[in-house]
Amino acid sequence: MTVKLWNFFPREALYECYQCARCTGSCPALEVAEALGPRETILKCLNLGHDEVVEDERLWVCCTCNVCEDRCPQKIPISDLLVALRNSAARRGNIPDKLQIAIELLAKTGRSMIVHQLDEMRAHHGLAPLMPVPIDEVREVLKKTKLDDVIEF
Amino acid sequence: MKQALDDMDKKANSPADLRVGVYVCHCGKNIGSTVDCEAVAQFASTLPHVTLAKDSLYTCSEPGQEQIKTDIREQKLNRVVVASCTPRLHEPTFRAACESAGLNPYLLEMANIREHCSWVHLHEREAATSKAKDLVAMAVARAVRLEPQFELSVPVKRSSLVIGGGVAGIQAALDMADAGYQVYLVEKSGSIGGRMAQIDKTFPTMDCSICILAPKMSEVGRHPNIQMLTLSEIKEVTGHIGNFKVKILKKARYVTDGCTACGDCIQACPQLAPDEFNAGLSIRRAIYIPFAQAVPSRYLVDMGLCLNNQGIVACDRCFQACTRKCIDFADQDKIVEIEVGTIVVATGVDVYDPTALTELGYGRFPNVITTLEFERLINAGGPSSGELIRPSDRKRPKNIAFLQCIGSRSKRSNPYCSNVCCMNTIKDALLIKEHWPETEVFVFYIDIRAFGKGFEDLFQRARREGVTFIRGIPGEIIEDISNGNLTLLGENTLLGTQYRYTMEMVILSVGIKPRSDAPIVQRLLNLSTDTDGFYMEAHPKLRPVDTTTGGVFLAGAAEGPKDIKDSVTQASAAASRANILMSKGEVKIPAVTARINTDKCVACGLCAKVCPYHAIEGSKELGYYRVVEAMCQGCGACVPECKFGALDQAHFSDAQIVSQIHEALANEPERKIIAFACNWCSYAGADFAGVSRIQYPDNVRIIRTMCSARVAPEWIELAFSMGAGAVLVSGCHPSDCHYNNANQNTARRVEKFWKRLDKLGLNKDRLRLAWVSAAEGAQFAKVIKEMEQGLRELTPDQVLETKQKLAKRVPRKGEPV
Repeated sequence: MTVKLWNFFPREALYECYQCARCTGSCPALEVAEALGPRETILKCLNLGHDEVVEDERLWVCCTCNVCEDRCPQKIPISDLLVALRNSAARRGNIPDKLQIAIELLAKTGRSMIVHQLDEMRAHHGLAPLMPVPIDEVREVLKKTKLDDVIEF
Repeated sequence: MKQALDDMDKKANSPADLRVGVYVCHCGKNIGSTVDCEAVAQFASTLPHVTLAKDSLYTCSEPGQEQIKTDIREQKLNRVVVASCTPRLHEPTFRAACESAGLNPYLLEMANIREHCSWVHLHEREAATSKAKDLVAMAVARAVRLEPQFELSVPVKRSSLVIGGGVAGIQAALDMADAGYQVYLVEKSGSIGGRMAQIDKTFPTMDCSICILAPKMSEVGRHPNIQMLTLSEIKEVTGHIGNFKVKILKKARYVTDGCTACGDCIQACPQLAPDEFNAGLSIRRAIYIPFAQAVPSRYLVDMGLCLNNQGIVACDRCFQACTRKCIDFADQDKIVEIEVGTIVVATGVDVYDPTALTELGYGRFPNVITTLEFERLINAGGPSSGELIRPSDRKRPKNIAFLQCIGSRSKRSNPYCSNVCCMNTIKDALLIKEHWPETEVFVFYIDIRAFGKGFEDLFQRARREGVTFIRGIPGEIIEDISNGNLTLLGENTLLGTQYRYTMEMVILSVGIKPRSDAPIVQRLLNLSTDTDGFYMEAHPKLRPVDTTTGGVFLAGAAEGPKDIKDSVTQASAAASRANILMSKGEVKIPAVTARINTDKCVACGLCAKVCPYHAIEGSKELGYYRVVEAMCQGCGACVPECKFGALDQAHFSDAQIVSQIHEALANEPERKIIAFACNWCSYAGADFAGVSRIQYPDNVRIIRTMCSARVAPEWIELAFSMGAGAVLVSGCHPSDCHYNNANQNTARRVEKFWKRLDKLGLNKDRLRLAWVSAAEGAQFAKVIKEMEQGLRELTPDQVLETKQKLAKRVPRKGEPV
């Protein structure tokens, strides 16, 4: 299904950007991985259109820490843009495999990673085992967010 | 009210004598492409008393004006209506045309079909044309009720006050003094010189700043026509163009004229403070001279710091050290009163404080400094005697980074470009390369704006000298606490790569902003400011140094960020504008004063109470009050106060405005918004919306008054009882009023009307009060949009109810029934 990206993000805000790159300079994700820098994201949305951006897998490296937004001299809600782009990408099926697995796990086990080894470690440190997750409740929440529109679980 | 209108009509020319000529201007395509001007002219010719109606491509052109003049002579026109741009632009033009054809200039009326119509309804040809017709009908109705007026001429004192002793103030003072006029130059600090005295070199010529400024400063000091008042502040300004009375607070200097600036006293003083002139990079004593070249070349005592600040002499070491005995602890603040004909405002700017941008570490990392601090650092008279050293270890840095646009072009600080920082950085970079060529210089920028004469050359020279320009401002600076070095993290946007540079010193190229005390001067002189806080010029293109307050002119960066050359140019322009007034020796004041009909006056004195200029005199004993015309500024605040119909305002009479309301509400009144807008702020704000092409609903009909305080509650009542959908009363922001806070009356009267609507059980939201400044075109449009939204929810029953309830009221005493 197609969703209008600009229903989720005010497109006019992009025109505020004058490419000073303070955002990219502040980005912790870029320090450690090949991410799509916020400046580049905005410029590509403006010049190439978001259709091209949502194809880019680097979009998913951002950890939405909001530092770029805090430091943006033009107060562009960059994190909102990233979230909107990812929504759009997900609805087109552009979700990285690892993330897809994590979501499926979340739906099945209530946790986004496999934790049975963790319990051994916890026992080793004298910690109580993890509490069981009310899976039905989690699935309910996930359904309410309409995540099942995008990924089957 | 209708009766009153007819009465007043009878008094004026008998209808048979009225011959109105209407000229509808296409303004090229500005009006013509949106409004069907021919149809408007055709419609105008059907209006009562209209003798002829024409449309022309450019009415303001020579042939356009000639046409009006010819028609006045040949067709015996005695009223002229021009439907074109805002009267704030071309009213003087068309008035002059009328006058030269023998018609009293006050018999001209303009319909603003450009700023208030074609430009704000760009894509609605039909609606705009129909609105233009309404506006023309309103103008014709007002025109036939216009009366000839004669302007009073007032003398202009041949003296001027210059506020601010920076380079702009100095230039303006010298230009006026050289022309032979007495000048008072008021400076807040201990010496004239301003920001330029702090700067090391100037761009693009690399002249030594103080070397070219100092001769001008001493010229001011010895000029027979200039009286310099340092350590002084303006406290009160009264009067008007040609005759301002100014009270100046001259603070105690505690050092007499005998001081020769020998400096013996400093060594004796035990009190220390950061030196403001050196941007806090060095220390000064409680007794000090601002800088070596200061004018007047006299020491002063910072009494806040001096040990004698409790009023008792606890320490007299400086007095003992002074061989000429020039220190006087008994010195006191004085009030100096002067009278001047003109005023030049040259209050200058502050620099942006980057402490708020925590990611850059200014204030935490010693080696992150601002450009102003750097100017002092490399100045021979500065804290390091011109040696390039960094604050943390006083060693010469091997590499230096400049960061551009700090505090400029940002919603987090100042949204505008500060104009001078790019070139200032390039100049500083070149200075470093010139004296210490082995130093690496990096400039991190967004855009280099090298727009002026010689600027691009300087930029290219810097690149050839080896200054590295990197596009992309660092997002973060990290300090290495072991050595004070700074790591800059960012992105080179042209290469699309991440960078990490380690620098030994970082210079933040900070922007400039209006002085923190600019609002004080603004209030004292009734100036307007733009959204950024800079003083607003009367017209951005054609009256760039005038203000909306007559006789007050702007010079230097107080009007907007500018470099030294532009400041000096503007100062000379301001001086020249002031010189014109002073050399003429007289000025005509618009004939829009209030007039009292002594036959109707019962001497209640209510009008005199609201007059912001004390221009109404009289008493109960005398049996009447009268307006002193030379003092009346024409706000009209007194007129609505009179409950006996004895007061009226020339050229903005009740009859004229009421006729406009009638015309505006002739068709579909429930769809209409009647907007009363004051000439200086709100009408200008609506003009600005037009200039900015901000689109808003077409059902507003703007009626101009000089001040919002002129708006009579009777007009609002009339509008509603005629079925108007909504009424807007708008004026300058409180304390920005051009008539000495006359608009507090506006607020009071509107609030009273709201209460009345409440009591009658009517929706008071249909009457709106909005403060809109001349810079707030968007705000005006927003208010109209909101009001239009409200109209959509309005039912015919509500309109009818308001009509009936307001019509039922009992007429007040003295009012025609």
